[in-house]
Amino acid sequence: MIRTIIVDDEPPARALLREYLAADDEIELVAECANGFEAVKAVAEHDPDLLLLDIQMPKLDGFEVLELVDGSPVVVFVTAHDEYALRAFEVHALDYLLKPFSEERLRVVLERVKRQLGQARTPLAGLAASLRAKPLQRIALRKEDGSIQVIPVARVDYIEADDDAVLIVAAGAKLRKQQTLGDLSRELEPDRFVRIHRSYVLNIERIEKVELYAKDSRVAILRDGTRLPVSRSGYARLKELL
Amino acid sequence: MRRGELALYAIGAVAAAALASSAFLLWNRGTPIGTAIIAALPPSLLLGVIGLASRHLCRAMPLASASRASIAAAAGGSAVAASGLWVLTWRSWAAMLPQPIVPDFTLLFGLGILLYLGTVAMQYLVLEVDASREAEAAALRYRVLAREAELRAFKAQVDPHFLFNSLNAVASLCGTRPLDAREMAQHLADFFRLILRLGAQERITLAEEIDLVKRYLAIEKVRFGDRLDIRIAVDDAAAECSVPPLLLQPLVENAVRHGVASVVEGGTIDIHATLRDGMLRILIENPADPDRVTQRGEGIGLQNARGRLQTVSEGRAALRADEAEGRFRVEIELPR
Repeated sequence: MIRTIIVDDEPPARALLREYLAADDEIELVAECANGFEAVKAVAEHDPDLLLLDIQMPKLDGFEVLELVDGSPVVVFVTAHDEYALRAFEVHALDYLLKPFSEERLRVVLERVKRQLGQARTPLAGLAASLRAKPLQRIALRKEDGSIQVIPVARVDYIEADDDAVLIVAAGAKLRKQQTLGDLSRELEPDRFVRIHRSYVLNIERIEKVELYAKDSRVAILRDGTRLPVSRSGYARLKELL
Repeated sequence: MRRGELALYAIGAVAAAALASSAFLLWNRGTPIGTAIIAALPPSLLLGVIGLASRHLCRAMPLASASRASIAAAAGGSAVAASGLWVLTWRSWAAMLPQPIVPDFTLLFGLGILLYLGTVAMQYLVLEVDASREAEAAALRYRVLAREAELRAFKAQVDPHFLFNSLNAVASLCGTRPLDAREMAQHLADFFRLILRLGAQERITLAEEIDLVKRYLAIEKVRFGDRLDIRIAVDDAAAECSVPPLLLQPLVENAVRHGVASVVEGGTIDIHATLRDGMLRILIENPADPDRVTQRGEGIGLQNARGRLQTVSEGRAALRADEAEGRFRVEIELPR
């Protein structure tokens, strides 16, 4: 059986998928979700083989859902926006259904899904990052207690490397996300976030001043008094922007 | 031509006319022409300067708004005063000349009045020409703006994804609720027909626009279900007001697309219209997630609406938008 989850914020869209899927004996519908939060929870709970995923949803969109889920279900985007669908198609690993779609079209997609279920699959998180629109407008992460937090990038003060993860500092709170600082900083708006040090990416709107600390080493002082080290190449990048 | 230059030319023209005519009067009474010109020069220059001051009178009493009688009284009064000054200058200057001359002061007084009134007439002419040129330029500007705003408005009128998603909903209803599917198809057809019909008109009533908005929301209600609530309150007097077509529809579409759709639990779209003191006030309010990812196109609807309001009301209407505590508000003020 193919354990399947439907994610769409519109009830009629879920109903249509449910009806079409019911005709396929191999499909077992294990959950229906109306938003991204429910989707992340349901994937953790059911570890599905197939995820039929809408993209434009409130709070947590389809790409952000993919970034936050573990496991590697086959993902099929279901959207009315062909610009997303085309991006999904480009990377081959995913398929897409363009709303409104025919039952025939769904059959073709399901055949492809069944063929792919037997093969090795790409982990989802990396794929999601490559598909997502850039620059990043908000950072989605899962906290230790399993709850999901979405931080608009405008609220981020700075980001600190922490082994192979990052600590995102926003309004005094530190949140850990499993992603390297290099990967994350490449997705951020380059005019706003600067890599001032091997271990730090700074939101330049938070800078109060930069002081010479010792020969060849500087320190950035933020509005809230935080002091962060600035390397020589970091200072060069900073100077270019300021 | 610059303003200072123009004033110099005006002084010169009036002074030259005064000089020529008064010197002619003197020469006519037997004064040699050279003496006559020297005698006429200073008073003529003075009249030129006084004549320039008539500009302020013309500015203060525009032909279009001031009454004929008050213009005549002001012009007549200042003409008598100006001419009095001119005759007085003549008297004292004539007495100072090496060969004193005695001009006909009554005739000079009449001449002063005529010259001054001529200056006033000239000033009015210049003002009128300026005003009509400006009005023409403004009208052209408005026509161009109106054309652009219309084009943009019609291009951005309906998001095609609205149609795709609605058709998907129709397909869904066909399976389980065929009667609802029929109704939805009918709503869609009515909505697009109405868009075409209303869009072709110059002005429609607010009641017609609200009808369009209701049809649009009825379709979205099927898609969003419990997440979308609608509250519409329009005064009877406000409903009769005329508005440019498809002014509210894109704003309400924004309220759904960037507003209710961005909130997990959804919310209510409030539309409120009143007519007070000849001013139509329309308020559209909706919930919106302050942390939403701003999509391409957000803000264009507002910009278009603002542009159209400007052109149809020639700058007398206003559109304000603000967002606070998870509520997005658009307020329109349009003179009746």
